[in-house]
Amino acid sequence: MNRTHILLSAAALLFASGAMPVLADDIVLGGSAPMSGAQAEFGQSQIDGAQLYFDQLNEKGGIKGNKVVFRPLDDRADPRQGTLVAQQFCDDSAVIGVIGHMNSGVTMPALDIYSECGMPQVVPATNPELMRMGFKTVVRPVANDFVQGALPAKYVTEKLGLKNAVLVHDKTVFGQGISGVFKDNFEAGGGKVSGTYGTNPEDVDFSALIASIKLENPDVVYMGAGMPQLALFLKQMREQGLKAQFIGPDIGFTVDFITQVGAASAEGALMTFQLPPYDSSAELKDFSDRHQARFGRAPGPYASLGFANAQVMAAAVEKAESLDRAGVLAQLHGVTVNTLLGPVAFDENGENTTAPMYLYVVKDGKFELIKQ
Amino acid sequence: MFDYFLQQLIFALAIGAIYGLIALGYTMVYGVMRLINFAHGEFFMLGPYIYTFLFSGLVGLGGLAPVLDSAIAIVASFVIVGLLGVAIERFAYRPLRAYGRLAPMLSALGMSIVLQSAVRVTVGPQPVHFPAIVPSTPIDALGGMVTTVQLGILIAAVLLMVGLTLFVNGTRLGIWIRAASESWTTSSLLGIRVNRAVSLVFFIGPGLGAMAGIMYASYYGIMQPTMGSVIGLKAFTAAILGGIGSIPGAMLGGFLLGAIEVFGTAFLPILSFGYIGTEYRDVFAFAVLILVLLFKPAGLLGETVSEETTVAKKDY
Repeated sequence: MNRTHILLSAAALLFASGAMPVLADDIVLGGSAPMSGAQAEFGQSQIDGAQLYFDQLNEKGGIKGNKVVFRPLDDRADPRQGTLVAQQFCDDSAVIGVIGHMNSGVTMPALDIYSECGMPQVVPATNPELMRMGFKTVVRPVANDFVQGALPAKYVTEKLGLKNAVLVHDKTVFGQGISGVFKDNFEAGGGKVSGTYGTNPEDVDFSALIASIKLENPDVVYMGAGMPQLALFLKQMREQGLKAQFIGPDIGFTVDFITQVGAASAEGALMTFQLPPYDSSAELKDFSDRHQARFGRAPGPYASLGFANAQVMAAAVEKAESLDRAGVLAQLHGVTVNTLLGPVAFDENGENTTAPMYLYVVKDGKFELIKQ
Repeated sequence: MFDYFLQQLIFALAIGAIYGLIALGYTMVYGVMRLINFAHGEFFMLGPYIYTFLFSGLVGLGGLAPVLDSAIAIVASFVIVGLLGVAIERFAYRPLRAYGRLAPMLSALGMSIVLQSAVRVTVGPQPVHFPAIVPSTPIDALGGMVTTVQLGILIAAVLLMVGLTLFVNGTRLGIWIRAASESWTTSSLLGIRVNRAVSLVFFIGPGLGAMAGIMYASYYGIMQPTMGSVIGLKAFTAAILGGIGSIPGAMLGGFLLGAIEVFGTAFLPILSFGYIGTEYRDVFAFAVLILVLLFKPAGLLGETVSEETTVAKKDY
């Protein structure tokens, strides 16, 4: 093999791996979410959504004539991997903003690292604590779990007139936290919580627990847990003939929930989610079509959130006086932008002042939006 | 209150039967080889995956009546997982026999990781819906309620357990197994091919594990690559509770652990007037285990191993 061959194959390798060199005046933005593992469907959809927006931006000439390069990294929903990713973004001085991470448990330890290197961060995770830890480098366009626990509590007490609830949670920060929020709001709405039960995050057999819940004869069961536990619990609940209204959080908003429970048993279950369905407005329909055209598949559960987060980040970069971390950070909190999911403006904690939350009901084997 | 008790008893029997079937695999291997087969939970996990693969294959090929399809798939899963068990023993444990107890045990831990990762990579890590083999219809029974699936699990598990007991106590092959577990050296001196007994144990144990896996997946409606880890640990606990090495002990231990868990969940909050919640179930279950072992270190039906046999067992 002579020298030309080596050079040619090296060039071919470079093209094959898609390793495009970053030009000096490109704007590099990082993104991180689980792109492999059990939650890959959710994580990848966020990355795709953000990518779609940056593509669109580049077609129109980028930001101030600079091309935007989006660099997604996989955090595998693992806090240890998340901190490594955060360090990697911090060490690369070209990266001037990060959208991530998807999981609250991954975001929490990474916050410290991002704040240390002055990295502007748009957070998609929903734990209320994240924005109350005193970090000045973060904003969150999406609604937090205070909103997520409050909405169904208000709905069942006011609209359905149900007053007797039982809470089940999986003893995790998320599960216990959100069922606590539900409880406060349910009691404020005149309801009574007749029991709170803890389970293990990996439990699959809830039959004994359900039999004892039946003795309380509740008309609402709120469950703060993950998947497949939400599905298993509802399935076993219906098998034992417990007819109470079932309510679950965003993790259950997936087709798997309905297939695992069975369409007949899932009928009527309520689920909260931060995003509206893709057919609910002209903009979202258009988004959905463009997603289909760009990736060859319909948008995943969090795609529109990824798109909106990218809009927020791009707006801050647009306003920045200098194209570096400090310049973007100075604009991040004050940014107001009309995103795909509605107007976004931040309060002193970095929370969106008007973050919406949506309630869905399972009807004929599909999630259907409940109009407020 | 009696209705409530009866209802919980049904749940305890269903989950206890599954624990018992898995515990049998641990106890038989330990009985013959003094090896804790940490890969056993993965045979349990492989059962439903192989069943689904075969069943959908049969249906895809045109298939026979659905009942016949699933019967063939069940029997074939038993055989395939059993043969896999035999192969693993032959290639991953047997060459290490001469190097003490620790080496085969570590090899078993490695096998567990290999099998779990293989399924995770090929099929994917997410939980998959497993359609019930028998449609789940509730039947009223004496004020309690039992589903056809629970009934099916209980009947199938008891049949398998009775079958195993008859096999071990009444056949020539069973005599090999009992002889090998009594004394390895003496049986080989008397002309029993001990390695055949070992292979036999490694066929039956994983096969029963696979059956338990199919029952479990069909009961809860899902399967996932990690499903063998937690339940494997629980079945191992059940085997120790009943006395590891003892076949009736494993069955008893399984039902007992099921009962402790279910009644712990059901009655702890009532008996403690709400002070101790259901989240203490595992604390309660394992406290019972420690108590049993304090008073009966060999487990409920385990035999106290004398110094002499311990020495003999070390020689293999």
